[in-house]
Amino acid sequence: MKTYDYTIEPDVIEKNPTLSEINDVVAAPMEAPPSNGWKVALGISFTMLIIGALSLGYSLYYGLGAWGNNQPVGWAFPIVNFVFWVGIGHAGTLISAILFLFRQKWRTGIARFAEAMTIFAVMTAGIFPLIHTGRPWLAGYLFPLPNQHGLWVNFNSPLLWDVFAVSTYFTVSLVFWYVGLIPDFAMLRDRTKKKINKFFYSLFSLGWRHSNRHWNHYEMLYLVLAGFATPLVLSVHTIVSFDFAVSILPGWHATIFPPYFVAGAVFSGFAMVQNVLIVLRKLFKMEHIITIDTLEKMNKVLLATGMMVGYAYGMEFFIAWYSGNPLESFVFINRAFGNYAWAYWIMVTCNVVFPQLFWVRKLRRNLVVMFIVGVFVNIGMWFERFVITVTSLSRDFLPSSWDYYKPTLFDFGILIGSFGLFFTLVILFIKFAPVVSISEVKGVLKSSQPHHH
Amino acid sequence: MEIDNKKLYGVGALFTSPNKVSDAAAKIAEKGYQDWDVHSSYPIHGMPKKMKLKWSPLGYFALIFGLTGTSIGLFLTYWTMSVDYPMIIGGKPSFSLPAFIPVLFELTVLLAAVGTALTMLFVLFKLPNNRHPLHDTDYMKEVSVDKSGIVVEAKDKLFNREEIIEIFKQLGADKILDINLDSDEVNYQPKILEPKFLIFLVIVAFGISFLGYFVNNKLLFMTPFNFMVDQQRLDAQSKSEFFRDGFGMRLPVEGTVARGQVYYQYKGKPELAEANLINPLVPSEKVLALGKKKYNTFCSPCHDYHGTGNGRLNGQFPNPPSLHSEKVRNWKDGHIYHIIVEGQNIMPSYALQLTEDERWSIIHYIRALQRSMNAKEEDLK
Amino acid sequence: MSEFEFKYERKELKTKYFTWGIVLLIIGLVGGIFGYIVDNERAAFANVIALTWITSIGIGAMFLIAIEYIVGAVWSVPFRRVAEFLSSLVLVAPLVALPALLNLHSIFHWSHIDAVETDFVLKNKSPYLNESFFYIRFIVTFLLWFLFYFMITRNSRIQDNTKDQSLTKKNAVLSAIFLPIFAITVTFFAIDWLMSLEPHWFSTIFGVYYFAGSVLATLAAFTFIAIKMHDNEYFSVKMSNDSFYSMGALLFAFTNFWAYIAFSQFMLIWYANLPEETFWYIARGNGSWMIWSLGIIVVKFIVPYAILLPQPAKSDKKRLKIVSLWILFGHFYDLYWLAMPTLNPAGVSISWIDFVFPAFAVGLLIVVFHIVSKNKNLVPIGDPRLRRGIEFKL
Repeated sequence: MKTYDYTIEPDVIEKNPTLSEINDVVAAPMEAPPSNGWKVALGISFTMLIIGALSLGYSLYYGLGAWGNNQPVGWAFPIVNFVFWVGIGHAGTLISAILFLFRQKWRTGIARFAEAMTIFAVMTAGIFPLIHTGRPWLAGYLFPLPNQHGLWVNFNSPLLWDVFAVSTYFTVSLVFWYVGLIPDFAMLRDRTKKKINKFFYSLFSLGWRHSNRHWNHYEMLYLVLAGFATPLVLSVHTIVSFDFAVSILPGWHATIFPPYFVAGAVFSGFAMVQNVLIVLRKLFKMEHIITIDTLEKMNKVLLATGMMVGYAYGMEFFIAWYSGNPLESFVFINRAFGNYAWAYWIMVTCNVVFPQLFWVRKLRRNLVVMFIVGVFVNIGMWFERFVITVTSLSRDFLPSSWDYYKPTLFDFGILIGSFGLFFTLVILFIKFAPVVSISEVKGVLKSSQPHHH
Repeated sequence: MEIDNKKLYGVGALFTSPNKVSDAAAKIAEKGYQDWDVHSSYPIHGMPKKMKLKWSPLGYFALIFGLTGTSIGLFLTYWTMSVDYPMIIGGKPSFSLPAFIPVLFELTVLLAAVGTALTMLFVLFKLPNNRHPLHDTDYMKEVSVDKSGIVVEAKDKLFNREEIIEIFKQLGADKILDINLDSDEVNYQPKILEPKFLIFLVIVAFGISFLGYFVNNKLLFMTPFNFMVDQQRLDAQSKSEFFRDGFGMRLPVEGTVARGQVYYQYKGKPELAEANLINPLVPSEKVLALGKKKYNTFCSPCHDYHGTGNGRLNGQFPNPPSLHSEKVRNWKDGHIYHIIVEGQNIMPSYALQLTEDERWSIIHYIRALQRSMNAKEEDLK
Repeated sequence: MSEFEFKYERKELKTKYFTWGIVLLIIGLVGGIFGYIVDNERAAFANVIALTWITSIGIGAMFLIAIEYIVGAVWSVPFRRVAEFLSSLVLVAPLVALPALLNLHSIFHWSHIDAVETDFVLKNKSPYLNESFFYIRFIVTFLLWFLFYFMITRNSRIQDNTKDQSLTKKNAVLSAIFLPIFAITVTFFAIDWLMSLEPHWFSTIFGVYYFAGSVLATLAAFTFIAIKMHDNEYFSVKMSNDSFYSMGALLFAFTNFWAYIAFSQFMLIWYANLPEETFWYIARGNGSWMIWSLGIIVVKFIVPYAILLPQPAKSDKKRLKIVSLWILFGHFYDLYWLAMPTLNPAGVSISWIDFVFPAFAVGLLIVVFHIVSKNKNLVPIGDPRLRRGIEFKL
């Protein structure tokens, strides 16, 4: 066992870099010509995006008959993907807002990237509500605009709450992210030698001049934004869970859904952030900024949220039996032992069993192990949404309507495309914007702050 | 000296140690300078206190924006769901607050977050400001990397170049430098209504208008893939080149009998109909209710709700005779039935609109109407 | 290290509050006994409320300690003894439960075997809701809590003398193991003592609801006592307002969290409108219960929210003390709302018995706190993070 020294505050950033070294490290990927690795990665993700675009194009042209959705499983891949991607986004806000409120300094190295991921994930998620009707150009009717029918949107519908929640979430995340980027763009503006870069950095930095009179307001704004983003992030996945839970379908109607979905969202989001960071820190030589300690803390969060999700699985099972409602108990027994048992057990293994490895410190700090567990968690969380959606629907109240849902190639194509879109955005982002918040990292360096006298 | 002061923006000092800069800031604040600032590429802990800055009022802005968002949400949900188009959904009252809370909450957060951020950037900081004299100076370049600096501006009432340089020296500044205005900055007068800005506004206005028009009038009516609508089939009431008479709608083949249809054997023979047809229905509440409904739907436009003949189409068609006349009252049910089936004068046939039972129900209802206008003495008992 | 000067002088708590505690305890005890004689059912229900309140704070304090170790919080280290003393309430909770356990039939409908026989739903639940299993769960739950209470506080006490850093590590590991156990035991404790009062009703979130209320109440007790002790200089050091800000912020956060959980539960049941679930809320909208239910929103959410919202309020010790007392009262209010409609379905009917049990609970808290703190350091002087905690700055 490693000896600890609790008397001193552990360094968030290792190797004690100077302030200018941080500038250099963060700006390096943006200044260097694109590396081959980057090009290959972009190529792969762009190809995936194209696959998705083609599948989607065909689906819209041919009609939604191209998908596997059919009675009784009218909700399938689109909502599963939607919930999955919105969930991925939650880690970003958690890191940037909630951990900020909890004064967790280790968040500084990863906050910017996680926020960017939030935005990209929500963008990816936003596609599915638009396309799932097969008529995305009619999405204007989702908003409470006066129209020729004299009709308004239905404010009682959880699907409408989704519209408000996801669009608010996207906007607020974007503002949060951009506000954080302004000082960094200012730094890049003062650093760059290229005219074109200078123009764009000036444009985006709005003429920020590192004034401490500004920082005074800025820090307050950051607190206010974090204060609002925290309940917002809870509300978003809560409302997503309402899509299911306000119904009376056995397996969907459970009061634990809101916190359970939020925990699950954070869980999958952390896994995704952790996965990408492992690659990123290696690629950009940021091992001392995104440290192993930070990753270890993320793994602890994974372990904790994984157990929360496990608690919810258990609670659902227990109450299904306890309620004495035969339909409820049937659904849960069917989940575990019915047609879709394979999906259920993939979910349980990936979400509850694998993260238990993180009880061991060695495994928690092993890059390979944590990467694999992270991938498993994301697979598991995707299957969680699949299990919830499909198992409940495929077993209707009338046994004559029972059916086995099978996705088609186009369903998979669109799923692949969603990953393509997400990673394309991520890969473009790491090239064109600072992936680490320079001002925040500088702020947590010990040498940068006055010591208390 | 005069000219120098005009060109001089201020005097800046650069520090490496965060301790020194925060002490220096406290000193400058103590001396009573007003137009000065500390610059660093990250917020320095405790600096607002050292600089004697006021508590940032952004929290209040957030509160006000947030409450505005809540109010807008409350108004929107209340007005749309309970006033403009009240609807009962899922057995809940038209104004069911718990179901609106998600929307209220989201609008609160949206307005508070966006409003506060915009207020800070554009109202408090007056950004964008890429023309600030500090930009592109050596001072800024260093501050942006690893130094922190203090600038005392020349416009400060207490400003005295030599004195300030002396103070900075005492405070242990690593580097002291004058920050001069460029020649174009000297003559630059900030104007709100610059032509560039006006053009920008016009473009934004046009853009938004066009987008609004396009979405509301074009996009929402688009049917890019409409082959489910445009099939090779004849829609109701459409024209057809195929049939000689040009009608898309076809009559049934001669002699076919639709389900439930009864052959009418008294075509053109009202006397026979009157003599032979007997109302098969017994007047009951149900029958009269059906008769009333159908009468009000199909007969009342001309005959009026009470059978006076002064209906709502008065003026567009000649009024039909009153149903209360002696003549009509004395007709047997079969006669009226015949008229409903065949029509009379300009009244068309209603055989397609009304089933047999409905016709007889209407006749009962007409009888009731007649009775109401010409009550017999025994009715009063 | 050399600049750091902290000399802890041990002081015993003043007896003033102890006397008050004894008075309350005796009033509660005598009143409670009378209550059981006069109105057995009502006394038993009030007993359940007192039990769940006391357990809330005891187990909530253990949760706070565990969380401190897990996340490596430093601001709370100087105050940790407050949480440790509070967590000793877990030890006396079974005593509070004893009269209720002896009157199980007055409390739980499911304990009447004849009633269960004719009830399809209850019969279905009887493998879980039966007396023997209930006792087993009760014993196992408390044994587990005792175990972790003794291990964690013991390590903390030993550290006062040895200053052994590995004890902190040990406690962190213990805390990590404790938390999942805590989650499960608290859930079943809440289901057993509160949810099964209405044995037909069920809600998957109920455990989380009780957890949220418990942690909120614990934080309130913790904040109140910590501020009181700090201001009376029991800690031998003046802490900056930043430490208290953390308390205020946590109170605020958990007020919101509780509201979120409460709203989620209400919303889903109200919206889906299934008769097997809504009857629970309908019962709480019956007659004057409607006013009590609406009062929940005010008492547990609006008032603390409004007090704690302004930034300065979160570190203003005076306001924090007021809001803490209010929240502790609010927890009683909430538990009353959970339990009592089963006893008085027609409407709120308050009797003197409803007051003696809370008095007993509060008295017990004060007395236990004093007794446990005897001969102990009120600050964990051996904790390696103590210095960072005292110098804590936001």
